[in-house]
Amino acid sequence: MLQVEELSVRYGQVRALEGVSFEARDGRITTVLGANGAGKTTLLRTLSGLVRNQAGTARFDGQPLTGRRPEIIARMGVAHVPEGRGVIAELTVDENLRLGTFSRLRRVERRAAVDEVYERFPQLGDRRRRSASTLSGGERQMLVIGRALVSRPRLLLLDEPSLGLSPIVSAQMMATLRELTSEAGLGAVLVEQNARSALSVADWAIVLNLGRIVVADEPARLAADESLRRHYLGF
Amino acid sequence: MGLFVDILLSGVAQGMVFAAVALGLVLISRATGTINFAQGAMGMFTTFIAFSLLTHGVGYWPAFVAALAMGFVLGAVVERTLVRPLRGKPALNPVIVTIGLLIVLEGVAGSIWGNVARGFPAAFSQRGLVIGTTRVAFSHFDVFIVCAVAALVVAIVALFRWTDLGLRMRAAAFSPEVSQLLGVRVGRLFTLGWALACAAGSLAGLLVAPLSSFSPYYMDLNLVYGFTAAVLGGLLSPVGALVGGLVTGLAIAFVGGYVGPDLQPIAALALLLVVLMVRPQGLFGTTEVRRV
Repeated sequence: MLQVEELSVRYGQVRALEGVSFEARDGRITTVLGANGAGKTTLLRTLSGLVRNQAGTARFDGQPLTGRRPEIIARMGVAHVPEGRGVIAELTVDENLRLGTFSRLRRVERRAAVDEVYERFPQLGDRRRRSASTLSGGERQMLVIGRALVSRPRLLLLDEPSLGLSPIVSAQMMATLRELTSEAGLGAVLVEQNARSALSVADWAIVLNLGRIVVADEPARLAADESLRRHYLGF
Repeated sequence: MGLFVDILLSGVAQGMVFAAVALGLVLISRATGTINFAQGAMGMFTTFIAFSLLTHGVGYWPAFVAALAMGFVLGAVVERTLVRPLRGKPALNPVIVTIGLLIVLEGVAGSIWGNVARGFPAAFSQRGLVIGTTRVAFSHFDVFIVCAVAALVVAIVALFRWTDLGLRMRAAAFSPEVSQLLGVRVGRLFTLGWALACAAGSLAGLLVAPLSSFSPYYMDLNLVYGFTAAVLGGLLSPVGALVGGLVTGLAIAFVGGYVGPDLQPIAALALLLVVLMVRPQGLFGTTEVRRV
């Protein structure tokens, strides 16, 4: 379980996050919504160790995340799926996936873990020897999510997984995410611009504005609040 | 005909040495995106360490291995102490630091061992092999040069292509942030890249020392040729470094043999210029992966 308390991040004079507190539980999807520049990506980058925070803490199963290096946090079972260009285009599909297996799996478990991803996403299996640069946007998104899953993480941090995907593929992606969290007990923090689809799968939602949490509530209640929707969610 | 064959053969041997220098440059360029101007000087320094060991009665091969090991250590130390602190700064900063390191290493070597030219022993005979009844300009030592550098290139390519460590090294080079998020200890791999590169530089230093007048500056020109070879090969490809080395070696040898040795450095610079104008990504590079 992830516990974030009073997390603050500044880039020079700019406040990116200010006193952010929330929890994300196992088996549940917590979505983080808000406009561009609200601090969503900064939040994920801080949790995965890419950005240093100035105040507050984040803990995962009681262990501090803040102050640790990204490779250590990844080894703890926190898998950050970065926005957009997370595919390593110079490597093949198979190499991308194998790379995900090194940190947390024993040598004998690695091949089977990669094959499981091919079973889940057969399109990737068909293209395993191809360069990842030849994949379509949807396939790339499958690859980065598959690569995160292959390490058998406990918590997924997803940054805009539906970005650039068609509505159909995006809906499939959300359904897969729902399935993974419910079945495997995986926790997920889902950052999305597409608030409507994120709210449809999430168990809990928080809305960021200028680095602060303005609302934290059940997705259904949030979606029903018209002024909130208009102000922060844009639908 | 005899002259042509002799030039061809000596060009191959020289080219393999340039390939070893180029390989070091490629490994560092891949690891941290830096051009290491001290690549030659580091090889020079470790070869002088081998020289000291030899004068103290240590055997040739132990001294040879010790120099390679020192190169490995020197590369790792330089990455940790001089290059690592500059991560995230403009790309030119570490490049300037390596130029400083080049000057420091040559100065220190000069003050320890003196700025005089001497001889450095070769592992094998440097007399030309006799084929049929003619003696060609290719010695047992040249055979050793070709084999040693070829073995190094094969080992590096095998490391990158077929091992998990190599996959991690490639990933860290292409996409350090994503690699970190996958639990890859990127910093260690950069250190390893520098260490391997400088071991390759040491090998080049040991191989070329018997062929030149051995002083603290004997690697300077080899760095120019090695750099030409690396750029020719695309700066990121070990096989490119090998091919680039051979092309540069042959070009230099033919210019030296038919035109005159004084024009060799100018020929290398002309080659470099032509490559940068006609095919800046090199023979084995693609535009998108070229970073330097």
